[in-house]
Parts: sequence; structure tokens; C-alpha cells
Amino acid sequence: MRKAIAILLLAIVGYYFINVFIHMPFGEKREGVGKYYLENTVKETGAANVVTAIVVSYRGFDTLGEVTVLFLAATGLGAILFGKRGEKRRLQGASVIVKTTSMMLYPMVVLLGAYVFVHGHLTPGGGFQGGAIIATGVLLMFMSYRHFNVSHNALTWIESLAGLTFATVGLIGLALGTTFLQNFLPLGTPNDLVSAGIIPIIYIAVGFKVGAELTGVLDNMLKTIR
Amino acid sequence: MEFSPVLYIAIPLFAAFLIPLLGKVSKTLVKLTPGIVFLYLSYGSILLFPKAMEKPIVQVVAGFKPPFGISLYYGATAAFLITMVTIVGFVIWLYSYKFIIREPIEKYYMLFMMLITGSTGILLTGDMFNMFVFLEITSIAAYSLTAFLRDKDGAEAAFKYLLIGSFSSTFYLLSVMIIYSYTGTLNFADIAGKIDLIPPMAKGFVLVLVLVGMGIEAEMFPLNGWAPDAYSQAPSPVGAVFGGIVVKAGLYAMIRIVFLFFKTPEVMQFLIFMGILTLLIAEMAAMRQHQIKRMLAFSSIGQMGLVIIALGIGTMGSTSAALFQMFNHALIKSLLFFAAGYLVFHSGSKQIEDLEGLGYDKPVTSFFFAVGALAIIGLPPFSGFWSKLLILVSVAKAGDIAILLLILTGSVIEAIYYLRAVVKLYTRKEVPDNVRRTPISGLVAMGILAAIILYVGLYPGVIEKWLAPAANNLLNAADYIKAGLF
Repeated sequence: MRKAIAILLLAIVGYYFINVFIHMPFGEKREGVGKYYLENTVKETGAANVVTAIVVSYRGFDTLGEVTVLFLAATGLGAILFGKRGEKRRLQGASVIVKTTSMMLYPMVVLLGAYVFVHGHLTPGGGFQGGAIIATGVLLMFMSYRHFNVSHNALTWIESLAGLTFATVGLIGLALGTTFLQNFLPLGTPNDLVSAGIIPIIYIAVGFKVGAELTGVLDNMLKTIR
Repeated sequence: MEFSPVLYIAIPLFAAFLIPLLGKVSKTLVKLTPGIVFLYLSYGSILLFPKAMEKPIVQVVAGFKPPFGISLYYGATAAFLITMVTIVGFVIWLYSYKFIIREPIEKYYMLFMMLITGSTGILLTGDMFNMFVFLEITSIAAYSLTAFLRDKDGAEAAFKYLLIGSFSSTFYLLSVMIIYSYTGTLNFADIAGKIDLIPPMAKGFVLVLVLVGMGIEAEMFPLNGWAPDAYSQAPSPVGAVFGGIVVKAGLYAMIRIVFLFFKTPEVMQFLIFMGILTLLIAEMAAMRQHQIKRMLAFSSIGQMGLVIIALGIGTMGSTSAALFQMFNHALIKSLLFFAAGYLVFHSGSKQIEDLEGLGYDKPVTSFFFAVGALAIIGLPPFSGFWSKLLILVSVAKAGDIAILLLILTGSVIEAIYYLRAVVKLYTRKEVPDNVRRTPISGLVAMGILAAIILYVGLYPGVIEKWLAPAANNLLNAADYIKAGLF
């Protein structure tokens, strides 16, 4: 009986769901903030990558919030697994082929990650993506080498300093008499590596922070004794 | 530098990122940080209070004017609730100071601070997607804190909360998506002017998504299954944050969106109906509880039902009364959680049965519990009396006697189970000698709340005079749009 009611309710919700989402305009040319962003981004922010400009500049406050969400998730995980951490992972060492390849790939993956977040205002990608790429590089090493270790102390420092950089950049804008997170650097020539004001600084900080946090999460989970 | 509303978010975030580094220097520094932050924010909020009451302060972030950038809307309602949140937040920190002695301390204080900051953000923001971000911050901190004691029940409660909370976030995000795709904007004031661009069916669906998504946070029936477990398994100060602060933010978000976009008589009727259901079912469930904190949790849901009824009536009088009730509930429920936390600690059991005789063994803590219980029932001379009276008067003015009787029924049930617990406390019984004492910081925290409850009860004017602008700000959508889009 309960199941029948649940299925019926799901069917009703599903019906409306499909009906609403099927008629939703998507990708058509529209008025609104989207149009404004496409027309004014380069002029107002100096960033060649419109998506980045929206994420870091127009909606930079959301990004600060999202960075905090990840930070809280990592912190919460650390709090819940506290005391359950062993010193060694239970993983077996990998074969020579895997080990050698990982050793060769690892620096390149980290370099790619750094490239992605440094060029966040020019090319697709940015701080979150770059940080995640770096963490996958570390994961590769975790899986191949039993004794590969990261220093939690260093991770804490990177995380905190990167977060503080983001918040400080925001507060400088406020202290200069404008608004929180407002750009206070020259915009430069669009498409140059050094351009777009504070966007690269924020994205580099986000890259470091996300990389350190995801690495910490991986390490925490791999070292938890069941 | 003048105090600006964005500091409500910026300072706690800065402090949260700093805490891991402070933890390397000294644990005491970590414990003091949230206290200093909330003390400063309370001070700032009191400075800003009269200005915000006069005229909404709309603060732009990143220098782009709305609707292109994110803006914060610090109107009279937000100012009223945020001032309450920062002060209650400070008191809860004071209570935590000796209560939370379990490692990892720095993680606790980080999560605790972010839980309150997330709720403040929900109250503060004037942007629909930004609200989602703060909802996420609040929820993720809440899940982790529910499981903070790392026992089996805590993990179960946190997992339940996580599942239901994910529904809440997803539903809300879907509603943002639909609204954005039709109106091309995320600013509340801008959307409110363009809401008719959305076809009727999609609009109705958005309403359902918002009511379900935010209804979960506001503990509306039948979406409140997570609450009793989360309240009772989380550490007591966290329970106080849930009941005192987080719920208020969820309820405010729901009501703000409904009042701005969907204020039709049918929707208001529906709110009243859901409020009555929430009130009666929660009070009856509270009656049947054997655990003190579960009882408090159900009572908290019931109180939210009462507030939803008053908001659903939607007159000036009832909205003021609802805001007053939210204020009182934040203080009183925190006081009850504080006292219950130490009573449970002293008796070593969560059962109401085992509180017998504690009134003589631990007179001060028990006294504060009794104060809280009498205040929440709505007995004079405590502040709870005035808000309940105002709600009843406004309901009577609206002319609906049936609702009046149902609210009274709920209140009688509430009185019965609270008095039962108080009587239990003061039933004489030999208790084994207990050398543990409630620490000073805990007593001071309870003392501050009890003093405010009594003071507001004796001089309700101090709060009442701010209720009219706050209620007006919540009810008057046209003013919101005008201020939000300057």
C-alpha cells in the first residue's frame, strides 16, 4: 500500500517535472544578465574567458562560498574520521610498470593542473579544475606507491594561506572604499597572461586550496582503518 | 572603515581559514576566535540596526550593480533576525566554551562558526543563487556537526539528515534553474518584477520546489523527519544552533520567496493549513517522547508551525507577532537546550524519567530549565507570553475562530509536557552524590538568555517597536523591488 502511494506520487511529480523541463528555453538568445555578460565582460573585467569572469568577478561571492563548501566538507570529513586514522594504507604496492609510468606522469599532471589554474582567465578551466587535476596526480602516486606520503602540516598551511588570500583580496577592495571583492588592479590587455586584475590571483589561490583539500580528503579516506 | 553588512560573511570566513593556523599556536586561541568574531558582529549589528530599520541597506559585491552582480539586502527584517542571530550565536559560543572538550576542537569551532555564518548569509543575501550557496554551507556544517560525537546514533542521524538535506538543496537549485531560464536573472527584486514571464505550469512547479526545498529547512510537516534525530544526537550547543538559528533562516527564505513571488490567497491558505498540521502533529509527538532532547526537538517543530500559521494569515499584526515569536523561540529554545545539555550530562541519561530529583541536586541549571519551560508555554512575566498573545489576538482579528481553537489546543498540549518535565525535576528523590558541577561559562550563557527573556517579558516595548518596520519589510514586495534594484 505504501509502495503504491509512493509510486503514484513519484509518477505525478515525474509528470510535472518532464513537462516543465521539456518546455524550458535553453540555449536560445535571450535578454537578461547573460546577454549583458557576453557583451560587456572583456571591457569590464579584462578577462578573455567570459565564464571565468562570471565565476570569479561578477559572481565572485558565490565562488568564495563554494570554496568554503569544499573546505567545510574536508573539515567535516576530518572531524568524523578523527581518531580512526591509521598510519599506513592497506593498499598493496603496484607493479613495476604502473610505478614507473606514475613516476613519469606525476610531475606532468601537476604541471598541467598548475597550467590550468594559472591560465584560468584565458583558457577553459580554472582554480577548481586545476586543483582537481593536481589531486588526481597525487591519487596516482597514492595508488602506485605504498609509502608515498603527503605532509598534513604542509596541506594545512597551503589550505589556510590560500583561503586567507581569497578573503584578503576581497577585504582590500572594501578597505579601499569600494566594495568587497571589487577589482583594484589594472585590467591590462585582454589575452595577456598578466591581465584581468584580481582574477588570476583568486584563481591561483583557489587552485592551491582545492588541490590541497582534495589531496587531504584522499589521504584521510585511504588511511582510515575499517 | 564603517561597518558594512558584507562583513557578516567576510569576517567569519577569514577567521575560519585562520583557525587551522591558530591551532598550531594554541588551542585557547582557537576557542576564543568565534567568540571574538560574534562579539564584534553583534556590536556591528547593533550599530547598523537603526539605519536598516529606517531604510534597507543594499550592498553591492564586486562592484557590479544589481542584477548583474550579487547584492546583499539588509532590510528591516534581515536586520532584526541577523542581530538576533549574532547575539544568540555569541551566547551559544560562550556555552560551548567548556561544553565541547572533545577533539578535534579546531574543527568543531570552524564548523560551528560556519553553521551560523551560513544561516546569516541566507538571511542577508538578495540573490537567489547566492542563497543556495549559503544553504549548502549551512547544511554541510550541520551534517558534520550532527555526527561530531562519532557514535552510532549520531552517524545515523547525520546520514538521515544528509539524505533529506540533499533533497532540499536539489529542489531549491532546480527552482533557481527554472526561474533563471525564463527571467534571465537571479536577483530577488529583479525576478519579482519579471515573475509573470514564467508560464503558469512552470511557476506552479517552482512554488512546489521552493516549498519542499525550504520547507525541509523550516521543519514544515511532513518534511521534518530529520529534525528530532539531528537535534538529539548533535552536541547540545549544536542543537541550540539548529533550533535557535538554522530553522529561522530556512523559514525566512521560504517566506521571503513566497511573499515576493507567489503571494496569492490560496498559497496563504495553504501555509496556514500546513502550519496547523505541523503544530498539532509535532506537539502530539512531543507529548509521547521519553528523551528530553527529542521532546525539545518536536516542540521546536511545533513552534515553527505556530509561526507559519501567523505568517500565513499575512496581516501586519500577525506578521509582527510571527517575527516576535521567532525572536523569543531563538532565545528560549537555546536556553532549554543549554539546560537540558547539562541535566543530561549530570544525570548521565537522556531519559526524562531519570531527571527526577535533579531540581534539588543541581538547583541553578534546573531553575534555568524551568524558566525556559514556563517562557515557551507563554506564561507571564516571560517574553514568550507577549508573542503568543499577539499571535492569538491577530488570529482573532482575522476572524478565524477554528484556527484560534487549534492553536490553543496545541498550546495546552505543549504546557502539559513541559510542566510534566519540570515537575519531574522537582520531585524529591535521593540522588547519588554527584560532584560534577555546571561550569561558570555555561551558567553565564544561560543567565544572559534568561535575563533577556525576563527583561523583554517585563518591557516588551523594547522589541515591539521594531516589529512594525520588520513586518512591513517582509510584507511589502513593492518596496523590496524598489530598494533592491536602485
